[in-house]
Amino acid sequence: MSTNDIIAGSPLARRLDDYPVPDLSAGFADRVLAAAAARAAPLPDLRRPGGGEGRGWRLGRRLAIATFGFSAIASAAAATGMLDRIDIAVPSAERVWTSITGKQPVAAAPVLAAAQSADAAPKAPVVFDGQIDTPEELNEAFRRIEDVRQGRIKARRERQDERIEQAIERRRAAGLPVPSAEELARQRQRIDEVQAIRQQRADERIKARRDELERKVESGEVLTREDIVRPLRDDQRAMDRRERMVRLRQMTPQQRREALRNLPPQQRRALIEEYRNLGNAPDTDGAVAIPDNATPETAPVEESPPPQP
Amino acid sequence: MNASGKPSTIAGTRADCGSDAALAARLAARDPAALREAITLYAASLQRIAFRMTGDAHEAEDLVQEAMLRLWDQAPKIAARHPVESQAAAALRLGGWLNRVVTNLAIDRLRRGRRMSAGEVPDREDEAPLADALIEAGERDHSARALIAALPERQRAAIVLTYYEDMSNAAAAEALEMNIKAFESLLLRARTTLRRAYADFGEGGAQ
Repeated sequence: MSTNDIIAGSPLARRLDDYPVPDLSAGFADRVLAAAAARAAPLPDLRRPGGGEGRGWRLGRRLAIATFGFSAIASAAAATGMLDRIDIAVPSAERVWTSITGKQPVAAAPVLAAAQSADAAPKAPVVFDGQIDTPEELNEAFRRIEDVRQGRIKARRERQDERIEQAIERRRAAGLPVPSAEELARQRQRIDEVQAIRQQRADERIKARRDELERKVESGEVLTREDIVRPLRDDQRAMDRRERMVRLRQMTPQQRREALRNLPPQQRRALIEEYRNLGNAPDTDGAVAIPDNATPETAPVEESPPPQP
Repeated sequence: MNASGKPSTIAGTRADCGSDAALAARLAARDPAALREAITLYAASLQRIAFRMTGDAHEAEDLVQEAMLRLWDQAPKIAARHPVESQAAAALRLGGWLNRVVTNLAIDRLRRGRRMSAGEVPDREDEAPLADALIEAGERDHSARALIAALPERQRAAIVLTYYEDMSNAAAAEALEMNIKAFESLLLRARTTLRRAYADFGEGGAQ
C-alpha cells in the first residue's frame, strides 16, 4: 500500500463508501433476453482477419499495383517531356545500356540523320537536327548527302531504262519503226555523256560549296541546316528556267519556236544558253532541236535537280 | 471494448477456470439460458461499475444491457478462439471482458453527454430546479457521488475499478486498455484530484 492510497476508515474513505448502488430493476434479465432475440445478427467483418496466409498475397498485390502505377506515371512523364521541364534528367536507353554493359555505343552522327539508304526511295529528305561545328561533322554530313545523291542517280537511271523500253514497246505496238540496236546504243551513250557532264558540274558545285563550308567551320563558325540547304534552294530563277525547259520539251517544235519568240530577249538567250550547256544545240531560228523519239526522261533537263545538301 | 472482440484474460471474480469457455460456447449456440446465466453472474458487478461511473441508475442499466448484448453478439468469435477443453479456454475470463466493455461504454456515454447540447431544441421545458430540489442537490454535492463526478472520465474509471471493485492495478489497467505504468500514473492523478475535490467541499483533512 502506497502513501497515496485511500486508507480505510479515513474521512475520505467513509465519504466514498457512502455511495450505495441500486439494484437492477425487476425483469432486467427478461428484457435483455427479449432484446437479444430481436437483435439482428451482427454484420460480418469488413476485413478478413489479418495474419492469415492471404495477407502476404494481398500485400504483394498492392505492392505490384503500386509499382506498376508508379512506372506508368513515370513513363508517361518522361515520354511527354514533363521531367525535362522540371530539370530531371532522363537517361536515354543507349546510356542505360552502356552503364549496364560497359560498352561504348558506336558514335553516331551528331547533327544529321539520313532518312534513307542508297537503295531507299530517292526523294527522302536529309534531316538536320542540330548544328555542325566540327570538320568531322561536316564530313559526315556530306557523306550522307553523297549517299542520297548516288541513290537518286541510280534510281533515275533505272527509271530512264524502263521508260525507254516502254517507249520502244509503244512504237512497236503502234507499227512505228523502232530504233535499231546501234541507234539505241548511241542514244544511251549520249545520255550517259550528258549525265556525266551534269554530274561533273554538280560535283564541282558541291566541292566548291564544301570548301567554303569547311573554311567556315575551321574558322569556328557554327553551321546550321539552312547554311547548307538555302543557297541552292534560293536559286529560284534557275528553278524557273528548269521548269520552263520542261514545258518547252513537252511542246511540238512549232509550239516551242512560238513560245521562245514570245519570251523577252534576255530570258530567251538565257534559256538557250542553259540548254546549250546541257549538251543540246538550238535551232538556227532560236528553237531547241530535240529528237522526236527522245523521251523527256532521257534529257538531262528533266532530271531532278542536283542533290541539295 | 476490444474492437476485435477478443475477450480479456484478466482474472474474473466469479467464474471458474474453463467454465467461461463452456458458457461462451453455449452463448455461441444461441442458448437463451446461457445468456440468463451470464446475466446472473455478471450483471450486478457491471451495474455497480456503470452506476458509479454515470451516477444514474437508468443509464447504468442501459449500459449493462448493451454490454450483455455485445457479449451475445461476440459469443461466436469468443467461442471460436477459446474452444472448450483447450488451453485457451482456461485463460478465458468473461467477467474481465465485460468489465472492459461496460467501462468503455460508460466513458463514451459521459463524453457524448458532455458534447451534446440542448440549446438547439425549441420550446424546451424550463428545467430550472425548484427550491427544495436545490436544497437536496446541495446536500448531494457533498456526497460521494459528487466527489466521483468531479473526476474526469478515465480518472473516475480508475477509482471505480480499484477502490469500489477492488481490482488489482493490472486488472484495472487491462480493463482500461492501458499499460500498468500509465495506469498507475492515472490512478495517482485520480486520487490527487479526489482529495482536492474533497477538500474543496469543506470537509478538509483528506486522507
